[in-house]
Amino acid sequence: MAGHKIKLQSSDGDTFDVEVEIAKQSATIKTMLEDLGMDEEEDVIPLPNVNSAILKKVIQWATHHKDDPPPPEDDENREKNTNDISSWDQDFLKVDQGTLFELILAANYLDIKGLLDVTCKTVANMIKGKTPEEIRRTFNIKNDFTPQEEEQIKKENEWCEEK
Amino acid sequence: MSQTNRHVKLDEVWAKLLDGINHVYQFQGMKKPAYMLLYTHVYDYCISNPNQSRTVPGTSRVHIGGLSRSNGQDGANIVGGELYNKLKNYLKDYLKDVCQSGVDLQGEGVLRFYTNRWEKYQFSSKVMNDFCSYINRHWVQREFNSGRKDIYEIYTMAMDSWQKVVFQPLHKQVTHACLDLIKSERNNEIINTRLISGVIQSYVALGFTEELTNSSHITSPTLTIYRDYFELYFLHDTEQFYRLEAATFLVHNSVTEYLKKVATRLDEEVHRVQSYLHPSTLSILIKKVEEVLIRDQLDAIYTEAKKLLRDERYQDLALLFKLTNRIPNATNELKKIVENHIYEMGINTIERVSGTAINDPKVYIETVIDIHKKFLKLVQESFNGEQGFTAALDKACGKFINNNVVTQSAGSTTKSPELLARYCDALLRKGSKAVEETDLEEKFNQIMIVFNYIEDKDVYQKFYSKMLAKRLVGQLSASDDYEESMISKLKQACGFEYTSKLQRMFQDIGVSKTLLTEYEKYCENHSITDTADFSVMVLSSNSWPFSGSSNFVIPLELKSTFNSFTEFYTHRHNGRKLTWLHQHSKGELQTYFTTQKYILQVSTYQMVVLLLFNKVLTWTVERLQDETQIKSELLLQVILGLLKSKLLICTDINDDEIDEDFKESDIKTHYSIRLSTDFRSKKLRINLNVPLKSVEQKDIEGVHRTIDEDRKMVIQAAIVRIMKARQTLRHALLMQEVIQQLSSRFRPKIPVIKKCIDVLIEKEYLERQSNEKDVLRYLA
Repeated sequence: MAGHKIKLQSSDGDTFDVEVEIAKQSATIKTMLEDLGMDEEEDVIPLPNVNSAILKKVIQWATHHKDDPPPPEDDENREKNTNDISSWDQDFLKVDQGTLFELILAANYLDIKGLLDVTCKTVANMIKGKTPEEIRRTFNIKNDFTPQEEEQIKKENEWCEEK
Repeated sequence: MSQTNRHVKLDEVWAKLLDGINHVYQFQGMKKPAYMLLYTHVYDYCISNPNQSRTVPGTSRVHIGGLSRSNGQDGANIVGGELYNKLKNYLKDYLKDVCQSGVDLQGEGVLRFYTNRWEKYQFSSKVMNDFCSYINRHWVQREFNSGRKDIYEIYTMAMDSWQKVVFQPLHKQVTHACLDLIKSERNNEIINTRLISGVIQSYVALGFTEELTNSSHITSPTLTIYRDYFELYFLHDTEQFYRLEAATFLVHNSVTEYLKKVATRLDEEVHRVQSYLHPSTLSILIKKVEEVLIRDQLDAIYTEAKKLLRDERYQDLALLFKLTNRIPNATNELKKIVENHIYEMGINTIERVSGTAINDPKVYIETVIDIHKKFLKLVQESFNGEQGFTAALDKACGKFINNNVVTQSAGSTTKSPELLARYCDALLRKGSKAVEETDLEEKFNQIMIVFNYIEDKDVYQKFYSKMLAKRLVGQLSASDDYEESMISKLKQACGFEYTSKLQRMFQDIGVSKTLLTEYEKYCENHSITDTADFSVMVLSSNSWPFSGSSNFVIPLELKSTFNSFTEFYTHRHNGRKLTWLHQHSKGELQTYFTTQKYILQVSTYQMVVLLLFNKVLTWTVERLQDETQIKSELLLQVILGLLKSKLLICTDINDDEIDEDFKESDIKTHYSIRLSTDFRSKKLRINLNVPLKSVEQKDIEGVHRTIDEDRKMVIQAAIVRIMKARQTLRHALLMQEVIQQLSSRFRPKIPVIKKCIDVLIEKEYLERQSNEKDVLRYLA
């Protein structure tokens, strides 16, 4: 089976040949292949929610991580940490915000846990240690709270404020 | 976003999905592109945020920062519920149709229908679950986390629907059909087991429970459906089937045949579970079958066990045991049966040979050994050498060896150790028939087996040491190695103390040999030449079971030898006292008065008497007594022996009077005894030294007599030892401890222990506590 390939088609019509083992990092594709089996004559699998640029990045990421051990089961008690991003991933994710968010969406759509984790952590790191005003600037968010609303939220979230 | 808007979206997506779902549930193949599009529809539907501009604050934003972290701002807006319900309703309608088409089926028909539809349904549901997986990840997970327990992942929901819509109305027919098939198989018909295994697989898959602790596994499998709707009925059926089978089969067949059948049945049931039932059923099922087929038939099985023992059908017994052993505690009764059987066989076998056995150690001991060997084989072959049965063998052997017709007719339980000791003696003597070394080793081991069963080990020790003494003194041992091997075996069994005297005896013989060479050197150095060619053994008096002998006047011919050795010995070991054991001494004389020179092997007593005839040819009995100073009783025996050998002649009676009936008391003191100068014999070397019967008889009686006295001393010693350690002790506990301490040597009788305690109180070793009469105190 090694080296066996499937064809993935992006929303803008480009087709990518991807090794099955690499594509299987997407749980969506993996379960599909398990359910439907692998035929000899391969259909092109459409991925209407991912454009060529993003799909290319996803495949690049998956190729780099193809030999990773399977991610550990999600566990409520496991400490979550945003500082464990590998340097390769850090370089890989030095992209503009738009691309980053599209990668998050693609990872979610294709159900690639590792990629979803690492992209979300990157966003989390962008938020960490910033005031609401800084965050708004970073992500270009308009403050649409009324002063009363803002006061109420502050009160409700007092418990998590650093003193 | 308005409600209508969402319904429009829902209807749109449903329209797109329905085609694919129908496809899946009509078991038509699906292509990957179609699958991926279905997945994308569901995904798009779920992530479409219908709420670009926020609604009124407060309605959507609830509990920010509260405990339910999943209930974020968009808690009310997570999309998926309506789609989930639509899927659920679709399955319900679909399954109603399925159920309808199977409701009238029975027997194999319903099984074929059920398993077939089930397998397909399972597969279809898996595919649907997967292309709808975004609902699972997105909506179901959150609903579940927020506390709803009636929401499952789509696949589980599909199982739940099957359970409610198909399983509930059909399970009676289905289970019933399965049980019918199983019954047919038990009646040796060939059935399609795949039908059953399909049903079982379905029942197992339908059992699940909500898992509350772990968020990633919403449900976990349980066997409730399988247990309640299949296993329960199955066990009930099984019980009925086998109860009936047991009853009918036993009417026409023997219990052994029945047991063979049971064994096969048990194998079949194991195979049944392995091939098409759930593994968890195995232990319960087997237990049930065992109860019905074995436990409830134990009485018949026990009766059969007795019969098989009588007929020596060991292989059948092995099977019987194997099956009985499956029932807790059921082998206890079997052990009793075996014990009784061995005991009875032992008693009876000994009774049959008792006539000869009472005076023939070989017959007696070998009979015992044979019985033991036979039943050891039984225990090993039929009962797997199991401990409980070995114990039963030991108990039975202990009982019949220590108390049987032979010991009863001898009037004491000490007969067995005596016969065993005599058996050993025969083996260890020169000229024993068991010459082969391996043979002998084997025999020794057998002796030790019997020895271990003997209660009165002290009696054995006494007899053994007596006989060992004779072998050593008379140089009658076949081999020193054999002697040592036997002693070391006894030492292993009973400890150092038990054999210490035996070992000392053995050593004395060795020491004596060196002593003799030293004596010879001594004679050389002191130019002592007038000694007879002689050898001597010096035996320490407290190790050897010899008592001093009646003395006599040392004849001139031996005087210098006697004196020089005595001098040599007392010089070397100042303070030691030498006592001569004449009754164990012997020597050789040569005749010069006959034309043919004969060598006479004689006891020292005989020698003393015969040497007198060097002086005078005729003596009266009275004079002989005067000269020799041998006790008259003994002297008469000596004279009688010599008269019978025709070496001496009594001039006062006719030759023909000296026959079998002629006794020493018939010899009168005034009779004249003359040396027979025309003595003739066919043999040149004549052994006159036959053991005096009266002495030997007295020996054995003496041993028996001293045993009781010796035991009292041993018991007293044990009591003192115990009391010295404990200082105070209750009467009953003291008894217990004494019995326990001495059990390796003999079984002390309780009245004797009591008497010993009284003696010790009298001797002021012990006293009774003044306030508590049953407590004893040690007096230092």
